[in-house]
Amino acid sequence: MNEVRLDFLKELANIGTGHATTALSQMLGGRLFQLVVPDAQMLPFREAADYMGGLEHTVVGIFVVISGDVAGHMACVYPLNSAYALIRLLTGEETPEIDELGRSALQELGNIMVTSFLNALSKMTDLLLAPSVPGLAVDMAGAVWESILAGAEVAGEVTVIRTRFSAEGEAIEGHIIFLPNEEDFGKIARRCGLEGL
Amino acid sequence: MSEIFVNMGEISSAKDHGILTTVGLGSCVGVTLYDDRAKVGVMGHIFLPRSRPNDQGAPPGKYADTGIPAMIAEAIRLGASKIRLQAKLAGGANLFPNLNMKSLSIGQQNVEAVKELLSKHGIPIVGQDVAGNHGRKMRFFVENGLVSVTAIGREPVEI
Amino acid sequence: MAKTVLITDDTAFMRMTLKNVIEKNGYKVVGEAADGEEAITLYRELKPDLVTMDITMPKMDGITAIKEIMKFDPTAKIIVCSAMGQKPMVIEALSAGAKDFLVKPFDAERVVESLRKIGS
Repeated sequence: MNEVRLDFLKELANIGTGHATTALSQMLGGRLFQLVVPDAQMLPFREAADYMGGLEHTVVGIFVVISGDVAGHMACVYPLNSAYALIRLLTGEETPEIDELGRSALQELGNIMVTSFLNALSKMTDLLLAPSVPGLAVDMAGAVWESILAGAEVAGEVTVIRTRFSAEGEAIEGHIIFLPNEEDFGKIARRCGLEGL
Repeated sequence: MSEIFVNMGEISSAKDHGILTTVGLGSCVGVTLYDDRAKVGVMGHIFLPRSRPNDQGAPPGKYADTGIPAMIAEAIRLGASKIRLQAKLAGGANLFPNLNMKSLSIGQQNVEAVKELLSKHGIPIVGQDVAGNHGRKMRFFVENGLVSVTAIGREPVEI
Repeated sequence: MAKTVLITDDTAFMRMTLKNVIEKNGYKVVGEAADGEEAITLYRELKPDLVTMDITMPKMDGITAIKEIMKFDPTAKIIVCSAMGQKPMVIEALSAGAKDFLVKPFDAERVVESLRKIGS
């Protein structure tokens, strides 16, 4: 993994998450505040799990297939307490567990975040990056994570972007994973003026 | 009692005592091999069904086709006898069922690949808890060969 | 008499959100569809004055549904409400016959503005 490639991915990450955060903030009526600049890491897939908080805790995972001019996958993973906080902010409801409406709210939130991320990249590259209907899972982090990796047929390293927000005093953390297919990553890079990636 | 965690793509083993555990089996398949006389246990955490040409440096346990033979070799290394080996499986779920990515989900493909390889090596499957849409944790007690499978919101199941 | 609206979105949460905004502003939501196929069926049945249409949905996407509806009712007034705001998609939706394109998340005012503009 060379420096230029990593820098480029981080740049994509920043731009994409910037838009996703704006969208998220709008969805929450402007009550969301971004705490830190998103942190992008390129990690071997096993380390990525540790980076995202380990294997046993419960997380919410959103997974989409990307099609159009670019093929690949994208995922959002966040811990359960962040999910509860988001549901509360979105629906005004306080529930002991994630019910149908909660799942629906999370799915829509994931959909908007992923799509905003892809919209940003589309604007940058003039390529079409269309997301599928998102899949949603609420389960052990390890299980969600490996299902995402297997679904994307990832063998080596992944780019994980960590974002932390606070909204009405609650800390919300999420991880976005962007997994374009190898050849198409080159397509994106070329559109941004970077040859030979 | 020492507990060894077997992560994605890893293979671990123990003799006489110890617990081999794998956390978070989604589409992956957790496989255990046990020789109850030699009290040798091996656990693998299989990620994908077939090894890739562009992933030469991968640990053998990552793919079913290289993982099962590697697990058998490890069992024999610790003193197990191949004809006494019995297998148990857990995992191979589809956590995102509404995404029709392929006709057969990765989880299902993994289960089929593992079963095919075990059959090829003449190893019977004596317990399984596979498929569905939920993640699993698998704990293998080498002292007696017991395997316990847990999932969120479910009672532990012994296979 | 209040104008009638058919809402189409695959997430219950978004349908609920839209319904609240729409009804608070004097319109009546007469049906909710969760995919393109359902939208077509309900459109034939209810003949709403206005339709909101998501794009990314299971079974049948919004663009296909718009084309189908326009086939049997060229006067249909369909407003797209989608997170998918990329140029080629917007162009495709408008070419298919949509009268407006709102990108999610949108604010309530923008929705109402569109309904009023297209509904008249």
